[in-house]
Amino acid sequence: MTVRMLLLAALFAAATTPVLAHHGWGGNEEKITELTGTVVKPVSLAGPHATMQVKVANVVWDITLAPPPRTSAAGLRENSIPMGATVTVRGNRSLEADHHEMKVVLVVHNGKRYAVYPDRL
Amino acid sequence: MVFHDFLQWLEGSPLGHAMRSSGVWTYAIVNLFHIVGIALLFGAIMLLDLRLLGAWRSVPLASLSRPAVTVAGAGVTLAVLTGIPMFATKATDYADNTFLFLKFALVGLALLNVLALHRSPAWRAQAAGQALSVIQERRLALAAGCSLVLWFSAITCGRLAGYW
Repeated sequence: MTVRMLLLAALFAAATTPVLAHHGWGGNEEKITELTGTVVKPVSLAGPHATMQVKVANVVWDITLAPPPRTSAAGLRENSIPMGATVTVRGNRSLEADHHEMKVVLVVHNGKRYAVYPDRL
Repeated sequence: MVFHDFLQWLEGSPLGHAMRSSGVWTYAIVNLFHIVGIALLFGAIMLLDLRLLGAWRSVPLASLSRPAVTVAGAGVTLAVLTGIPMFATKATDYADNTFLFLKFALVGLALLNVLALHRSPAWRAQAAGQALSVIQERRLALAAGCSLVLWFSAITCGRLAGYW
């Protein structure tokens, strides 16, 4: 009986662990910050996560988006935002001050919102 | 730098292009088979290594080693064949991913362990179904211990590479 209870508790704990635990965003801040800059490398829907690069005040930021299928499903495709366009991104930046990388949950371009992680906004 | 040139060449190769331009699910599907390969490899070596370390002594070693080596060999082949295109997708992104290169080194060591084991008289004796001396059993047990530690470490580094 006790064993079964323990198993059920373990199962419950596993089932309710938030999806956020995947990758944990361990190296990134908890709080959401915003960046506005110019696209220097357009969206790439390849690899484990979609990526892009945005230049903000002469600093190039590596933007990590959701995995390609999820990013694409949010409407953000490789040709959605041209090079040189101005975008605003929101997400969790790297904890290291000199590591210009952000796990982005929302991209705004030309009034259009691409929420690649709507549950994390 | 030669190393960075190699990463750029790999990323720019037809393989890298194909991985980046063949649909949003490509990487996930290749990744799936990479994991299946690792599962085949690790499951098979676990059975064989535990037997070599003294478990299930009633199971004739030759009856277990033949299928275990076949499945493990298929698994590692699948993992390597899917790993190369995954690496090629964004090879330059991995330039300072310590865990990924540590994993490559560990896989290399694990394969050297396999090579040394398969060339040993003790392994040939078990494959032929011969009775083994205590020394030969220790030789096989040593290789089994190295195998478990090296492959488990390789898998650990492989997983950590994704969190780097």
